[in-house]
Amino acid sequence: MDAVVRLQGLTKYYGKHLGVRDLDLEVQRGAVFGYLGPNGAGKTTTIRLLLDFLRPTSGRAWVLGHDAQKESPEVRRRVGYIPGEPALYKNLTGQDFLAYAASLRGGVDWSSIRSLAQRLDCDLSRPIGTLSRGNRQKIAVVHAFMHNPEVLFLDEPTSGLDPLMQQEFNSIVREARAAGQTVFLSSHILSEVEELCDQVGIIRSGQLVKVESVAALKARALRSLDIEFGGPVPQGEFVGLKGVSDVTVTDSHLHCKVTGALDPLVKAAARYQVVNIVTHQPSLEEIFLAFYGKEEPKDVAA
Amino acid sequence: MLRNVFLKTLRDQRRSLAWWSAGLVLFAAMMVAFYPSVSGNPAIQDYVDNFPKELMALMGIQELTDFTSPAGYLQGELFSIMVPIVFIVFAVGLGAGSIAGEENEGTMEMLLSEPVTRERLVLEKFASLVAATAGLGLVLWLALMAAAPLAGMEISPLRLLEAGISAALLGLAFGAVAFAAGSVTGRRGVSVGVAAGAAAVTYLLNALAGIVDYLGPAKWLSPFFYYNGDPAVLNGLNILHTGVLLGLVLLLGAVSYAGFQRRDLRL
Repeated sequence: MDAVVRLQGLTKYYGKHLGVRDLDLEVQRGAVFGYLGPNGAGKTTTIRLLLDFLRPTSGRAWVLGHDAQKESPEVRRRVGYIPGEPALYKNLTGQDFLAYAASLRGGVDWSSIRSLAQRLDCDLSRPIGTLSRGNRQKIAVVHAFMHNPEVLFLDEPTSGLDPLMQQEFNSIVREARAAGQTVFLSSHILSEVEELCDQVGIIRSGQLVKVESVAALKARALRSLDIEFGGPVPQGEFVGLKGVSDVTVTDSHLHCKVTGALDPLVKAAARYQVVNIVTHQPSLEEIFLAFYGKEEPKDVAA
Repeated sequence: MLRNVFLKTLRDQRRSLAWWSAGLVLFAAMMVAFYPSVSGNPAIQDYVDNFPKELMALMGIQELTDFTSPAGYLQGELFSIMVPIVFIVFAVGLGAGSIAGEENEGTMEMLLSEPVTRERLVLEKFASLVAATAGLGLVLWLALMAAAPLAGMEISPLRLLEAGISAALLGLAFGAVAFAAGSVTGRRGVSVGVAAGAAAVTYLLNALAGIVDYLGPAKWLSPFFYYNGDPAVLNGLNILHTGVLLGLVLLLGAVSYAGFQRRDLRL
């Protein structure tokens, strides 16, 4: 069995409130899987079900072939986890906290803790309660990776990290992938998922909308684009180009939306004097629009 | 102290235990220091004998035929009300902070991401509650052992030990109520409330059972009766009463164990 994470009809209701519904998913060994969705979509709920913090209303989940509920301790032995909001013991130092966690795992190689802490420039000598959000996040990163787990569940792992540390974190994830570790990374930031992941699952209102490769997602995504010309341009030249929609031209300024390749638009624009081109990173909402058109998906429960 | 959940939990309690111990030792020493002025003073025994029985019952004193003896004095001044309060408040605080405390702080998520079973977590946390409460009982025993000879009290160390055990056991019973409520609900506030409410109601039940005739049998429902009905400092540990309290603690341990297995964590 090479599906490291497998969900089968996984459903969780909190009373009447929907957490996630009918999730079916397989993540293959060695993949970096991006779990993309807006806040409150059910990303954290999914990960907590996989770690047996929550019990499913129906459906099942397996991690590394182990039933996520019945064999949870074995699952957790082989998994590293960064919670969305890591709450660590405030009165312990980073060093003490990691020593405690290591003992509960039956011992961890301290050289790997030291090297991770050094890479992240992480102060292990101060009580965790005195650390900033970012520095606490670093300890959570060390904690997740220190025992060299086969699978990593990372719930919005870069929140709180400054850009430099995000880069370092990204390279830690890439090294994990190179070493054959499987990564399940939740995020609401498309660029983060694009940079790190091979495959993306999109979740919205508790339901898995789509699972596809990052390349396919990018091709599908609607990008909005502005072009500033040297002089006025005729709108007719741009309407009806392949993948181009919502064209509005005001004097020498063109605004439109593009799906897939930019080539037809750029070729058309090149006939005039181009002063500036600005493309906007598609937001999650824009990606959803690409899937749904203008329609909102039907929510089962808010 | 960071080797396992049991030791880590005890480590977290070390400050609390130190402060409660200091307070308890101070209070016990003060009370013992007053003993020489009571010892063999028939006027005081007369005064106690004429005290309204109803008022005595409300103060948790069931029988006090010999207030001027060392054991009678300790029972009246220490073990009837102050010592139970100290042990109950201490143990309820720990019990509520155990499982529900980690959930309230959010640290349960990290703790249970380690390969620790929920069964083991409950057992180790419960064991640390027992150990810390027993520790406070030990402190009380040692304090009385040290203070009693200084005040000329002649009382056997065994009796004092038995009294310490019975007080710790009463505290533990209500600590276990808080622990169980926390294990079932994951809410610290609820745990403290349930345990404090249980203590207040069962205390009154036992006290009123001594005054109001038709409430007489209700005393069997109160842990205070099994603590105070046959005081250990006077008569030694009553095996039956001790067994009931131990059974209650074990039952609450089982409730905690089962309750924590079934539910979602509160995160």
